Amino acid sequence: MTLLVRVELVKLRTVRVTYGLILTVAALTGLFAVIESSEAGKTSGTYAVASLTTAAGQTTVTTLTSWSMILAAVLGLIVASGEFRHASATLTYLATPDRKRVLLAKLLAAAFVGAIFGLVAAAVSTGLGLAFIAGHGDPIVLGAATMLGHAAGAMVGAPLLAMIGVGLGSLIRSQLVGIIAIFIWALVVESAIGGLFTSIRPFLPYTASTALAGIRLGGAAFGPAHSVRGGSALPFAAAAVLLVGVAALVSVVAARTTMRRDVA
Amino acid sequence: MAVIELHDLTKRFGDLLAVDELSFEVDSGQVVGFLGPNGAGKTTTLRMLLGLASPTEGSAIINGRPYQELDRPLHAVGAVLDASDAHPGRSARNHLRIQAMLGEVSRSRINEVLDLVDLTSAADRRVGEFSLGMRQRLGLATALLTDPEILILDEPANGLDPEGVHWLRQLLRDLAAEGRTVLVSSHVLGEVAHTVDSVVILDRGRLVTHSTLDELTVGVAQVVRIRTPKADGLRLALELEGAQVQVVAPDRLEVSGSSPEQIGNLAAMHSIPIFGSETESTDLENIFLKLTNHTNAAKAPR
Repeated sequence: MTLLVRVELVKLRTVRVTYGLILTVAALTGLFAVIESSEAGKTSGTYAVASLTTAAGQTTVTTLTSWSMILAAVLGLIVASGEFRHASATLTYLATPDRKRVLLAKLLAAAFVGAIFGLVAAAVSTGLGLAFIAGHGDPIVLGAATMLGHAAGAMVGAPLLAMIGVGLGSLIRSQLVGIIAIFIWALVVESAIGGLFTSIRPFLPYTASTALAGIRLGGAAFGPAHSVRGGSALPFAAAAVLLVGVAALVSVVAARTTMRRDVA
Repeated sequence: MAVIELHDLTKRFGDLLAVDELSFEVDSGQVVGFLGPNGAGKTTTLRMLLGLASPTEGSAIINGRPYQELDRPLHAVGAVLDASDAHPGRSARNHLRIQAMLGEVSRSRINEVLDLVDLTSAADRRVGEFSLGMRQRLGLATALLTDPEILILDEPANGLDPEGVHWLRQLLRDLAAEGRTVLVSSHVLGEVAHTVDSVVILDRGRLVTHSTLDELTVGVAQVVRIRTPKADGLRLALELEGAQVQVVAPDRLEVSGSSPEQIGNLAAMHSIPIFGSETESTDLENIFLKLTNHTNAAKAPR
């Protein structure tokens, strides 16, 4: 299994899309850090951010890591469906006819790269957020442990979404449909369900992954149901277990259905 | 000893019967041409043999086991199914590096196979920039990386220029000389005729024949072209022996119903000099067409 995971990591290292996605995570996180830090303290508008003198405001601008979650899901999707898009699944399955082992290796490799996404986003958001706070001359009220906890949370949330992406990509094989599905789910479906049913909201996967990184409900940089108030995020462990469960469920369904099909 | 065995292999896609109770064996060290027109079911058969598609009925085994159950499949079988099955964004070298990791062979072997298929100078270019012929070569390099005893090649001549086809023939001859077993598919008999020990001919998913090329040509009228300064004399002599002769030029005859050896002997008996003779090279293609058309006609009333 170690060999298969290493192979999947080499596959990711030798195509440009991986680097493109990491740069996109850094760029979008940076963009939102600048926007939200500049908006902090203004009380009106959908993206109202508390003053940078408060812990809430400082938390918001140092935890804009949600792009790493969405793009980790996209990465996971590409890891799985890319094999069918480029017909390389033939060679992959010739080398490893046990398709479940291939799936497991992809889950682990995508999780590893997902953690890098989380790390990059946390570093950019924390760095820029703190720079803005310092620029305003405000004292930093967040403790180092809290900020490290948020960063670690991003490095757990993004890998778990990457794994869900692998399951999804194995299930539907079509890269384009999968990417559209991820964005519609994260932004439209979770917004609609989360807005209508506040009690279900914390259990929605993308929302739960952002909660891991210390993002308050509805506070994701590019995320669902900003205007909806109320409800509280799942505790860390519960959110993690929920996401592991979703990833496992999607992967098992994929392994039992689509993955058994002929490779054309 | 048979290393590849197909028993009543059948594949149905909805109403379409793509492969119909196909059975044949390939012995160790044999080079077998797997022939049929486009859409005959060759690729589907090879994909079932390699565990990429599951048979509706029947079985396909390699070295006594289904492909999925082979211990180190890449070391047993090297396969080229589709020239486009490498990621277009990856360099040829990186593509081979991944396969080398999977096959657990040393990195130095990558340079060897790149050299073998004449891609060394293009090794660091992205596969997406390759021509179809170059991708075919890369596919062969990938299959040969693990030095397998059995090679399964699906239409490897597709996209190759005449020079490439010549190169491929030489490669197949070399592989055969090394004692490897090769199952090579093609829709053009002439492409593989110079290399194979026997041919399996498939039409509409059914086996038409599995025979050697000699067996295939037995009983089929060959046309022999003869160049001689005494064309009339030779024509008379041949016609007396029952051959059909056409005078195509004052010094040229086309003879059917007689072999080049018989014509040569007859000419010697009558002291007629022969300056040249050749057997029509399209014969094999005609036989192939006849065999596959014949099957079509036979199946039509069903």
